[in-house]
Amino acid sequence: MVVGNIPEAMDMVVAGAGPGGYTAALHAARCGRRVLLVDEAGEAGIGGVCLNVGCIPSKALIELAQAAERTRTAPAMGLAAAVSGVDLAVFQSWKSAQVKTLKRGVKSLLDKAGVAVRRGRLRVLGAHSALVDDGEGGAQFIDFKSLVLATGSAPTPLRALPFDGARVLDSTGALSLEALPASLVIVGGGYIGVELGTAFAKLGVDTTLVEASGSLLPALERNLSRAVARRLQALGVRVMTSTVVTAMDERCLVVARPGVKGLEIEGLGTAGAAAVVEERLAAERVVVAVGRTPNTADLGLADAGIEVTAAGHIAVGADRLAAPSIAAIGDITAGAALAHKAAAEAPVAVDALNGKPAGFEPACIPAIVFSDPELATVGLTLAEAKAEGIDARAERLPLTASGRAAIMGAQVGATEIVVDSADGTLLGVHIAAPHASELIASAALALEMGVCAEDLALTIHPHPTLSEQLAEVARRLTRT
Amino acid sequence: MSTYEFLLPDVGEGLSEGEIVEWHVAIGDTVKRDQLLVEVQTDKAIVEIPSPVTGTIIALGGAPNDVLAVGAMLATLEIAAATPTGTVQTRGTDSVAGGAAPAPTLALSATGASSATGAPRRPRASPATRKLARDRGVDLATVQASGARGQITHEDVRRAAESAQSSSAAVPPPSEASSVTLQPASPEPVLAESGRSESALAPAVLSAAVSAVGRTEPLRGLRRRIALTMDKAWRTVPHIFSMDTLDAVALVEVREVLNHDLAGQDIKLSFLPFFVKACAAALRAEPRFNASIDLANESVTYHADVNIGIATQTADGLIVPVVHHADTRSLVDIAIEIARLADAARDRRVKLEQLTGATFSISNYGSYGGHTGTPIIRPPECAIAGFGRIEDAVVARGGVAVVRKTLPFCVSADHRLNDGEDLGRFIDTMRRYLAAPIRLLGQR
Repeated sequence: MVVGNIPEAMDMVVAGAGPGGYTAALHAARCGRRVLLVDEAGEAGIGGVCLNVGCIPSKALIELAQAAERTRTAPAMGLAAAVSGVDLAVFQSWKSAQVKTLKRGVKSLLDKAGVAVRRGRLRVLGAHSALVDDGEGGAQFIDFKSLVLATGSAPTPLRALPFDGARVLDSTGALSLEALPASLVIVGGGYIGVELGTAFAKLGVDTTLVEASGSLLPALERNLSRAVARRLQALGVRVMTSTVVTAMDERCLVVARPGVKGLEIEGLGTAGAAAVVEERLAAERVVVAVGRTPNTADLGLADAGIEVTAAGHIAVGADRLAAPSIAAIGDITAGAALAHKAAAEAPVAVDALNGKPAGFEPACIPAIVFSDPELATVGLTLAEAKAEGIDARAERLPLTASGRAAIMGAQVGATEIVVDSADGTLLGVHIAAPHASELIASAALALEMGVCAEDLALTIHPHPTLSEQLAEVARRLTRT
Repeated sequence: MSTYEFLLPDVGEGLSEGEIVEWHVAIGDTVKRDQLLVEVQTDKAIVEIPSPVTGTIIALGGAPNDVLAVGAMLATLEIAAATPTGTVQTRGTDSVAGGAAPAPTLALSATGASSATGAPRRPRASPATRKLARDRGVDLATVQASGARGQITHEDVRRAAESAQSSSAAVPPPSEASSVTLQPASPEPVLAESGRSESALAPAVLSAAVSAVGRTEPLRGLRRRIALTMDKAWRTVPHIFSMDTLDAVALVEVREVLNHDLAGQDIKLSFLPFFVKACAAALRAEPRFNASIDLANESVTYHADVNIGIATQTADGLIVPVVHHADTRSLVDIAIEIARLADAARDRRVKLEQLTGATFSISNYGSYGGHTGTPIIRPPECAIAGFGRIEDAVVARGGVAVVRKTLPFCVSADHRLNDGEDLGRFIDTMRRYLAAPIRLLGQR
């Protein structure tokens, strides 16, 4: 490695070109800063995991699966249609074209703003210095005035089941498959596992979902996730909760259920003292989606006196500053690893580095799962509100009440609103429905603006839509 | 046309001053009779003062955070109706409390963001308002909300920023603190007029000189009221404290029996109604504890009613709603009244009369786990009782160590009115009723 001895002087450096990083770079440029955006993959990395191998590609796969699924329900409506085949190679080139177009859009914004993009891995050396290694034997010292760290996260490997890029895949690998496997076992029943499992099942793959905890989507209320579990079963997905992987051979994945005595499970302890019952699951491919790990290990943070928590998160204040000249945003800070959180933190971090008063203090951050039905949640659940000592109440309306949902062939789902009993102020909205991911934005606005159920009930919602459900639940809350 | 000078009315009992919290009108505004003019922080809480007349505002008596004496000009209005003299002077009790204008209601929380129970909640404000507050250096928790359901508006933040700017301009910079004479930093004529000694102001000036880091903010709102009341109480009332415990086995049993009978109804008895009844009985038996001293006029007033204040912690500070005529009400009635007052406090709408007229107070610090305390009397009251947590204690009975439910308590009395022996008698009466609550049945 050749290291440039003379440090290059930089105004603001942003590490990571994902939704957090490029948003920060654009905002900083708009504020008059001269910005260098550094990403491991250079210009190819613009958009980060989200655009290249995460949110967008997975939605592309889900869109494909949805199209396939519709041909299955179409005959009942009078449309003779059938899937004659799924060509994933074609899908990959279509998806790549979409990603390329979107990336070009971001790139042109960066160009117009005068943001320079450079390939390299950044390592912090001190409060104002860093080393950027281009991965091809070149490295350059950089003296910066301000630094925004937005290096994101990577799939967490399972020790028993290391990624091999061929049979054991992470989500990136699963989304890059050129052919459908005959059988697929997805380890991890969080939102990534559920989204992938639903999509592959709809594409006709024999799919099994293995989750170590007692239910799918353990981060969500079971009230909400139940609809998804039911739908997955209807799609023929075998859902195995409280189950762990013990071994893998050439054809199968071996799993065991706890409750079976004598079995020691990572994180769950040992369960009694009886025989271990194992099961062999056909697994041409295995996808491990057990979480994401913040990319903070190789940043050299200790040299800059920056603290990293046990979970790998950088400790930051409300202003996202980890040090007076260094901010951190996105997956490498505490909270849900969500692109929209990173993008919202970006201007806060830049403003703080610019010496302006800034704070990341949203009333709520919506979370969504592109499952079937889609799940979307914002604010507090009834249980969370009560745990905070709030006198709260909730109303819930099943999807079966919606004419629009019936026409769409969606029967399983519900809309729930939680309010403060004292004055009806909205505390949380939880939706399991088609397009819940779109519906939740108005709920987030309502929470940010502090509206009460009556405001929502008296706001005219168009008919016939799924959004009417929100107004109807609000009406129920105001009637009492 | 004539002008109408609206003087700050005495909206409560014997209030001497009020702090302007927020104007709801501006100079040039046309207001209708009964329209909300201003919110004023009094000794008790925040009072909304409506306009007594219809007219146009031509002058305001002060800016937010200014303290006005009762009788000072609050607002001057130009009114259409001709009056004989051209200038009408009103006394507050005539125009506000006397029924000519609607009775003021109280908004207990300054921010509208916290409830009497539960954890403090974040102030309600839209994201854009939140950003404005941050840009202008305004702490939303200190901003008076004018929007629906306690929502802080852009305008509220701007107003807070402006008043913060004007008040910080009045504070001398720390470097000059050493040469500061003991003059109030901000113009507060009321402080001087009411004869409050300069020594009360000295610590603030000193701490400004000593403290190089940290933060100084104006003492305002309910906290200021509590500070002034407690300061006066501690400096003027020579307290005597008597601490003891009483056997609470019968009390616990009686409460259980009554609650068993009340099961399925809305009301559940805590120990507090028993404390109220027992204190009321002792106040009836010892009238000099249900009295007020006026040293200036060298007189003692014995109150006809027994009205017991219940010290209630809210997110904004301590308030003391009052159970009136506690001596003539039943236990259950008192329990219902206490619940009603607590609800009103939580909804931030306590009527002024619910906060005034106490002749004695109770601090139930046992409800939050306290064992012993030294409650401070709230003049013009002359005594206060504090009750700790009932718990098992090993006590000697007939030479044998036994475990009994025990209630620790402390009664504080104003030594100017009562001596130790008087306090002993008061406590004996109170203790008779609490140790054997069946005696409450025998009350006349």
